[in-house]
Amino acid sequence: MSKKIIEKEISIGPVHPALIEPYRIRFFVNDEIVEDCEININMAYRGIERLLEGLPVEKALLITERICGICSNVHAWNSVRVVESGLKIEVPERANYIRVLINEIQRIASHLIFFGHAFEVIGHETFAYRSFLLREVFMDLMAYIGGNRVMPSVPVIGGIRPRADLTDTLKRVILERVNDFEKKYKEYVDRILADPMVMSRLTGVGYLSKEDAIRYHAVGPTCRASGVNYDVRTLMHEYKPFDFEVIVLTEGDNRARIVQRALEIFECLKIIRQVIKNLPEGPVVNRNWTIREMPFTTAYFEAFRGELMHSYALDSQGLIRNYKVRTPTPTNLAAMEKACIGDHITDAVVTIASCDPCLTCCTRIEVVESGKTKVMSDIEIVRKYGWRR
Amino acid sequence: MGLKAIARKNAIHAMLIYTGGCNGCDIEVVNAVYSPRYDIEQYRVLLTWNPREADVLIVTGCVTWQMVEPLKKIYSLIPEPKAVVAVGACAINGNVYKNMVGEIGVNEEIFAPVDNIIPVDAKVPGCAPRPEDILMGVVKVIPKLMEAP
Repeated sequence: MSKKIIEKEISIGPVHPALIEPYRIRFFVNDEIVEDCEININMAYRGIERLLEGLPVEKALLITERICGICSNVHAWNSVRVVESGLKIEVPERANYIRVLINEIQRIASHLIFFGHAFEVIGHETFAYRSFLLREVFMDLMAYIGGNRVMPSVPVIGGIRPRADLTDTLKRVILERVNDFEKKYKEYVDRILADPMVMSRLTGVGYLSKEDAIRYHAVGPTCRASGVNYDVRTLMHEYKPFDFEVIVLTEGDNRARIVQRALEIFECLKIIRQVIKNLPEGPVVNRNWTIREMPFTTAYFEAFRGELMHSYALDSQGLIRNYKVRTPTPTNLAAMEKACIGDHITDAVVTIASCDPCLTCCTRIEVVESGKTKVMSDIEIVRKYGWRR
Repeated sequence: MGLKAIARKNAIHAMLIYTGGCNGCDIEVVNAVYSPRYDIEQYRVLLTWNPREADVLIVTGCVTWQMVEPLKKIYSLIPEPKAVVAVGACAINGNVYKNMVGEIGVNEEIFAPVDNIIPVDAKVPGCAPRPEDILMGVVKVIPKLMEAP
């Protein structure tokens, strides 16, 4: 294929109405049809991996929870899972159930904020408002359990914080709110699927085939909406006691990505009901552990947007060495760029929003050395170049 | 109350700028505007994304070095009278990103307190602050806009 020269470029960002987070998109267009797309994500670089180098592992929870404000519990839990699997720390069964509960509550809140963002970008503000109103149920539950709407800080090494233990009153409240939510949510989803304007805007737009999803390493709901059956939750021993289905759709367009998340919320509700029903008695935290030297250990987790990896080693004093985080969005970026190509420019931002980007946690640094580009982790850069510039 | 103040009072436009941080405060601000439970529009405060028509600038996040210049530029584009609300612990003192570092030392990526870069009128603490507090912070700066000539 000969190399085409594309003349028109439309660039959006870093601060723009369609983008809540700062990132920059460059669309190369030919008469309003997107020919190529490039997403640039390095606006929110905070150097998290550098901050964690040399911190005591108990203290690191404060920073790992603040990697992302939407999926805070996922990062906190996964950083704890690394040290638990590396040092063979037992977790009580009751603590595991409550961790799963708060995780699924946050997953529903995250999917609802996705609806809010996607419908706001489409321009249908009523659906966005209704989605934010439904979300308040779960923000309240997080405040009741953990004490904060956004950062519940439930997992600690060896269990959960005793403050987050579930009382009988709290169990009843959760069940009531969830039942009430499900009734309203069913109406909401029926209303979306019956809306001809919204559906015609979404159907058949932003197509990502199964081959492309595998080739560009799409993860999470983005790949499951393209027909790839991949969910890390099915492999995790924490989720063994629970019965749920992995929702896989085969259409691969914007509508499929929205419907996939809509159906996944019902599975989350199923898990929450099972937690409340089968919650075992017993202690919630195991304090019989000592931190000692740990080799490089890795933990994988199904975050709300896909597969998440945390890995680090501990030295002889229990300080963190070489913390590495790989969040789902960087692997989804290539799939987003691919899905935009061939569609109208007005649909491109909707396509990117439908892949649910969360760009604060995925920022990486690129080092260009004599023309060769190389992506390095923070620690490697500090070792080689010092702090900055 | 002059004619200008009456006109201003009925349409206060707030603009949100997100300068790094973790998204938590950012979503709480959007929540305070869009969620029908909080509904900042009942105080006639509307969310806008255009600095030319904004009156209140809501800043969230610890200012990363890529966002210093955009922040200054957007502040200069807002017409007088204007007010700035710093929302969240990151915007006020840098939170864990600035104050809790390992053995690497000072974090040079964060230019955290927003008042180092632009003047701030109201500060809303919390990690993340509740939407009620954000409403309070925005409503507190409205008199400043009213009294301006």
